[in-house]
Amino acid sequence: MPPPQPDDLRRLGERIDEAEQQRSQSVKAAPPTPLGIAFRFGGEMVAAVAVGAGLGWSVDWAFDHWSPFHTRPWGMVVLFVLGATAGIRNVMRAAQELNAGMAEKDVEK
Amino acid sequence: MAMNPMEQFEVRPIVPLHIGPYDVSFTNQSLFMCIVVAAVTLFLTFAMSGRRLVPSRTQSMAELSYEFVAGMIRSTAGDKGLVFFPFVFAIFMFVLFSNFLGLIPGAFTVTSQIIVTFALTALVMLTVVVVGFAKHGFKFLMLFVPKAPWYLLPLLVPIEVISFLTRLVSLSVRLFANMLAGHTMLAVFASFVVALGAAGGILSALSITPMFMIIFIVTLELLVAFLQAYVFSVLTCIYLNEALHLHEHH
Repeated sequence: MPPPQPDDLRRLGERIDEAEQQRSQSVKAAPPTPLGIAFRFGGEMVAAVAVGAGLGWSVDWAFDHWSPFHTRPWGMVVLFVLGATAGIRNVMRAAQELNAGMAEKDVEK
Repeated sequence: MAMNPMEQFEVRPIVPLHIGPYDVSFTNQSLFMCIVVAAVTLFLTFAMSGRRLVPSRTQSMAELSYEFVAGMIRSTAGDKGLVFFPFVFAIFMFVLFSNFLGLIPGAFTVTSQIIVTFALTALVMLTVVVVGFAKHGFKFLMLFVPKAPWYLLPLLVPIEVISFLTRLVSLSVRLFANMLAGHTMLAVFASFVVALGAAGGILSALSITPMFMIIFIVTLELLVAFLQAYVFSVLTCIYLNEALHLHEHH
């Protein structure tokens, strides 16, 4: 067997680089399943509404207990609507991220 | 035999313990958390004990998990994000091992308890807030001020604050709900096998069909177990990135 040539080593290095690049791409491209996307959107929306309503309820409760004023039910009304708005904003953001990710993948193809 | 698919999520005390009015019993939940931590530690120390240049199979598994998390942080938060490697790696390994160990029949799934996932999420969000304030001071609060005409800000700032708080819920519920749903589904299909088998006659022969389903569901659950650990830590990275680089992502 002849001793390894510098050329052989270089070629091996190139092959390793190539393989590494391919692997890093396959790791990055974990495409979301349709079910995953649906859960993501649903979850974002529900979570935001729940947080808004919860915050509103706590604000009303705090005012009832620790202040002479009563805000019930206005804290909950206002924060519930704000929560729903935040939910829509979150879903829009999630959709933008997904679109950007898919556009990137299309470019790579 | 009572077949309640939710029974597997019951937290039972093993060593009852009370401090004042608080119940701090050592439960099956605590036991499995200890097992998870021990398993992660054992796996990593054992796998790396050889420290060979050409890794053995177990060593390459440990290296793979390391590189996987490192690559994830680099691609979402950049090289500066690598400061948080220990944090993200710990979270990833804990969630991954909890999910996988929970799939062993008879084991308890730590991540199927909302309080566990919520505590993890709270830890992540607290880190984000602390890092944000430490790095940017009060400018961190600009995270809640979107680019918009000033007269819209009174409306938009509360929305952004709620949207930030929403992560606490969406991140914890996503992991918890996936684990809960998967394990309940497995238990329900398993109870079909028992019920059909006990029915006798031709129905007993049919009990093989839900068993096949279980095989597919288990493979699906293996995927979900990994995917949820991945999603949880990727989102951790994304949130940390926001704290590190304010507004650069827009």
